[in-house]
Amino acid sequence: MHTVAEFRITFSRILDPDGTLVAPLPAFAQPAEAVIPLYRAILLTRRFDAKAVALQRTGRLGTYPSSLGQEAVGVGIAAAMGADDVLVPSYRETAAMLGRGVNLLELLLLWGGDERGNDFAGPRQDFPVSIPVGTHALHAAGAAYAFKLRGEKRAAVAVFGDGATSKGDVAEALNVAGAWRLPVVFVTIDNQWAISVPRARQTAAETLAQKAIAAGIPGLQVDGNDVIAVRAVVERALGAAREGEGPALIEALSYRLSDHTTADDASRYRPAEEVSRRWREEPAARLRHYLAEAGVWSKDDEERTIAEIDAEVEAAVAAYEATPARDPATIFDHLYAELPGPLRAQKATLAGGESDG
Amino acid sequence: MTAFKLPDLGEGLVEAEIVAWHVGVGDRVVADQPLVSVETDKAVVEVPAPRAGRIAKLHGAPGDILKIGDPLVEFGEAPAADTGTVVGRIETAAEASAAKAPVAAGAPGIKAMPAVRALARKLGVDLALVSPSGPDGLVTKSDVERAAKALAEAGPPEPLRGPRRAMAARMAQAGRDVVPATVVDDADIGPWPAGEDVTLRLIGAIVGACGAEPALNAWYDGHEMVRRVNRRIDLGIAVDTAEGLFVPVLRDVGGRDAADLRAGLERMKDDIRARTVPPEELRGATITLSNFGMLAGRYATPVVVPPQVAIVSAGRIAERVVAVDDKPAVRPMLPISVTFDHRAVTGGEAARFLAALLADLARPG
Amino acid sequence: MAETTLVGAVTLALARAMSEDERVLVLGEDVGVDGGVFRATEGLLARFGPERVLDTPLAETAIAGLAVGMAGQGLRPVAEIQFMGFIYPTIDQMVCHAARLRYRTRGRLSCPLVLRAPFGGGIHAPEHHSESTEAMFAHVPGLRVVIPSSPGRAYGLLLAAIRDPDPVVFLEPKRIYRAVKEAIADDGNALPLDTCFTLREGTDVTLVSWGAMITETLAAAEALAGEGVAAEVIDVATLKPLDEATILESVGRTGRCVIVHEAAYSGGFGGEIAARLAERGLTSLLAPVERVTGYDTIMPLYRLEDRYMPSVARILAAVRRTLAFA
Repeated sequence: MHTVAEFRITFSRILDPDGTLVAPLPAFAQPAEAVIPLYRAILLTRRFDAKAVALQRTGRLGTYPSSLGQEAVGVGIAAAMGADDVLVPSYRETAAMLGRGVNLLELLLLWGGDERGNDFAGPRQDFPVSIPVGTHALHAAGAAYAFKLRGEKRAAVAVFGDGATSKGDVAEALNVAGAWRLPVVFVTIDNQWAISVPRARQTAAETLAQKAIAAGIPGLQVDGNDVIAVRAVVERALGAAREGEGPALIEALSYRLSDHTTADDASRYRPAEEVSRRWREEPAARLRHYLAEAGVWSKDDEERTIAEIDAEVEAAVAAYEATPARDPATIFDHLYAELPGPLRAQKATLAGGESDG
Repeated sequence: MTAFKLPDLGEGLVEAEIVAWHVGVGDRVVADQPLVSVETDKAVVEVPAPRAGRIAKLHGAPGDILKIGDPLVEFGEAPAADTGTVVGRIETAAEASAAKAPVAAGAPGIKAMPAVRALARKLGVDLALVSPSGPDGLVTKSDVERAAKALAEAGPPEPLRGPRRAMAARMAQAGRDVVPATVVDDADIGPWPAGEDVTLRLIGAIVGACGAEPALNAWYDGHEMVRRVNRRIDLGIAVDTAEGLFVPVLRDVGGRDAADLRAGLERMKDDIRARTVPPEELRGATITLSNFGMLAGRYATPVVVPPQVAIVSAGRIAERVVAVDDKPAVRPMLPISVTFDHRAVTGGEAARFLAALLADLARPG
Repeated sequence: MAETTLVGAVTLALARAMSEDERVLVLGEDVGVDGGVFRATEGLLARFGPERVLDTPLAETAIAGLAVGMAGQGLRPVAEIQFMGFIYPTIDQMVCHAARLRYRTRGRLSCPLVLRAPFGGGIHAPEHHSESTEAMFAHVPGLRVVIPSSPGRAYGLLLAAIRDPDPVVFLEPKRIYRAVKEAIADDGNALPLDTCFTLREGTDVTLVSWGAMITETLAAAEALAGEGVAAEVIDVATLKPLDEATILESVGRTGRCVIVHEAAYSGGFGGEIAARLAERGLTSLLAPVERVTGYDTIMPLYRLEDRYMPSVARILAAVRRTLAFA
């Protein structure tokens, strides 16, 4: 008997939880100031999330899934993507979507129960959030095939959680992406929790990254709370994909510091001490320390930036609440390219007009 | 509620300015979770929560200056209610709703296809009057067409009005409520003098019979099951006119003499002919007389109209062969029928009433 | 014009669509090298190459999910599911994504895919190869469900489905894949979607059906003509959105309706048609609407499948009942 295959999974980190450099900085992170936009993006996500949660609590927004604690993954992904790439997100993707140019008003409309929030003015080809878990990994593979067929140097990025890696759809997506050598990068944000099911009970696999091995594609781990490392790893994978070298699966390790959604109460199933421990590894603090130590970030910068962000968020909330309601008859719009006859009669009944239905 | 005070931030600082809150009222926090960013001389510092708990109150807004030791947040002890969901909102009933008994199905209606119903409507046919020939009592198209043809050959529909309408309603009501029974016999009026007034003799006989058996001069309320035996006899007299049946009431026939009664009868006939019978005169009869003998007929079972419990009818006087002293003889016989409401009157009472009636009629005068 | 079978018409339509529009591609299990297990995609790989005729891994969810992603990027994928019995893993992708993509992005993205599958029983196949669950898809807002019943209609309707900017579930009645040959002009002319086809005119009763059952229904109409009964036969073709106007107009004239479908009785699409007749055609009806359908049982294995599926005799019995009603 002899070994026919072995695998190795590597873990990358550049900035440790204290904000200390533990690996060489990639070019995009030099000089230190170059990282400030990434920090600002993390703050924007965090402040918006907090506002969204507060709005939900006062009945002004529907159920909302906060990204508290895992902002760096989405920020890093969006920063690594090119304008022509396509993002295929899960539902807990505020950070990446903001980074891609989805605006705050659109996010508020979506979670506020209005489909107009999915009609992105910015990234016109990005997919909307996917509520069913993991099904969208296949969409990214399909989009990637379109790039390949048309000979375009573009890549698709599918982002999903640790729970999603148990889904057949994800396994099928990894498999077909590998079999067809598709220009798609899969990022699984391992935030340790799938609602109330902890990572240890989700799978026997030691890492999620190794699920790539089964599909015959590269799989690697990165510290998801280290935005610099996330961006570096995703950027490398995207470059390879665009050059025709095929897909990759990246496991970004993080922690979901919030409840699953505003309706969930995580204290029902996880101990407060564990969450406290994880707060000490959160992505914003380590970056702030690093920037402060590097002498490029002052307390005035912090205060000013928070104030600017809060004003941006407030303006978006005002615009959201001032958005005129849709005519109920628009329920029938965009069902098909053109509304078929009997449905026109139905629409008329909703509008209170004459109908033969 | 326990208050958490702004802790010593070190370096001899005595106060700090709130830059931004990281938590809101109602949030559940854990130990070490950043609560607020405050600005000191040197830096913006995050103040972590000292313990897990729920934020009940925040002290201060961005821009406010707090001294070390000032209250910063307050923790509430009461846990937030379980939403019982992970998305959306599930309404909760305040109290249990009472179980409702299921409603029994109603009586089955007339069975006919919609196209057949539409045809019936168009032809003016009442489906209730159509005898169905289809399976399971289904009214078919040909049934409706047949009924329409029959209706066309009948006269035009004549909605009932006035006395006919009133009679239809009254008799329908009586038919629903009254349980009628009838006892009949003949009175031998041979002893009567010539030119005797039949109506007056009948009225007198009824007075006598009511005296002998007052139970037939009563009112009965079937709903309350209450009977009222009337002391006075207000006699309804059935009168046939071209417009229909009228039953004016001759009041207190037991307390008036023959001349008074005769005058009353004449006045009544005049009023009817002239159509001037006041409505009160048609109400309140305690017992009724129907003398149809002027026309034709022998015995009858006319309708007892509630609240009355009896009606006396007199048929055509005719010469009949009867047994007298064991030998056949020809006698003038007046047929008498007494129909009574068996809910309120027994057969015995009716028979006794009839006996008294006949005895009175058999007297010479 | 060549004499073509129904499955041959599918191939013709696919080839025509792929030659006209480079965005059209075909994907599914065994569709490339093998030309499809029913040969529906025969010759396409040789003609259009492996980039447009894709042999997928064995993964139905992936076939549908890939098609969603491709369609979202503006391609026109025609995805094959080998048998309707294996279509269920695609329901998540079809219901949650394909049907909704245009709607939830307010038209920013759309999903012009076709999901085609052979369906129905009567080919002596093992289990799970005889499904008729078209009603499941017909229930879903945002989808179209199209079912051809002849080679000519297969050609025209599939072309229409591929050209349609929205998702179409195209179910091919495999029992008549090769039973009938028809002369078809490969002229690229599509037939209209969203409309019924009146295959035979009549005055005494309206027979409504789709798919393979059209064969039995037309045979029943022919037999009835011999008895002096003129039956009108309507091929629904597009179950969703339903062209109820054609059916209502016909029953408005005949007053009697018999619906024939192979699928099981309860929740079958015949119920939807019967309901529309009750809602908007009630006063025309001279007899109750009859449905001649499969029973509410699992489709039996092939030894008894003939007893399950509606026969000409069962259709005739229903028509006679409806005529004798009153």
